[in-house]
Amino acid sequence: MTIFGAIGIASTGLTVHRKWLDAVSDNLANVSTVRPTSEAAFRQKYVVAQEITGGDGGVQVAGVLEGSAEGRLVYEPTNPLADEEGYVRYPDIDMSSQMTQLIMAQRGYQANAAVVDRAKETYQAALQIGRN
Amino acid sequence: MTVPISAIAGLSSVTSVAPTQSVAETAGTASTSGAGFANVLSGIDNLQQLQSTTNDLAVKAVTGDLDDVHDYTIAAAESSTALELTAAVRNKAVEAFNEIMRMQA
Repeated sequence: MTIFGAIGIASTGLTVHRKWLDAVSDNLANVSTVRPTSEAAFRQKYVVAQEITGGDGGVQVAGVLEGSAEGRLVYEPTNPLADEEGYVRYPDIDMSSQMTQLIMAQRGYQANAAVVDRAKETYQAALQIGRN
Repeated sequence: MTVPISAIAGLSSVTSVAPTQSVAETAGTASTSGAGFANVLSGIDNLQQLQSTTNDLAVKAVTGDLDDVHDYTIAAAESSTALELTAAVRNKAVEAFNEIMRMQA
């Protein structure tokens, strides 16, 4: 679909940033997910972006990497999930890093949406050529 | 993480390919070989394809099966622009026909 090339490319960017937003949202939702020390902690998700070679180009999600399963041990003897020594396992998610990524994903999505709008305006300007 | 999103290579290839194709097609139409009208019909086929994609996505949107909101809005934008393009071409063709019909006496 080369006739709307710019729109198609921006659409792939929108999809990648939407998936990034989903990953950040998942990480933030599980920021306080407690597990017993006998189990692995919630693993933080990283979206890996990759350019599309061939065709019109664009970007795609190459895969999702997961963070450490070790997490961090917190002394909470009152927690029902605590072990004999009173420890539970929290995920090792850096809140400020997640908020930064949230902003980057949101701004990236908005930038691609702006490209779609501008490309549409540009194609419509082409339709006005020679009218009147 | 935003660093890999560099579609500049793709953009340059698109801009370099599209104009040469359209110029070649225009030259073919001007030779009055009769193949030009078939091209117009296949263009209408493409328009039909875009419209049905938009319709499918609209159904998905209202039934909750839509994964990406932008998929629908982009399909809608593409099909409406393609419709405007088809209408513009049609208007030009009718205008040219009428101009020829006025060439009497």
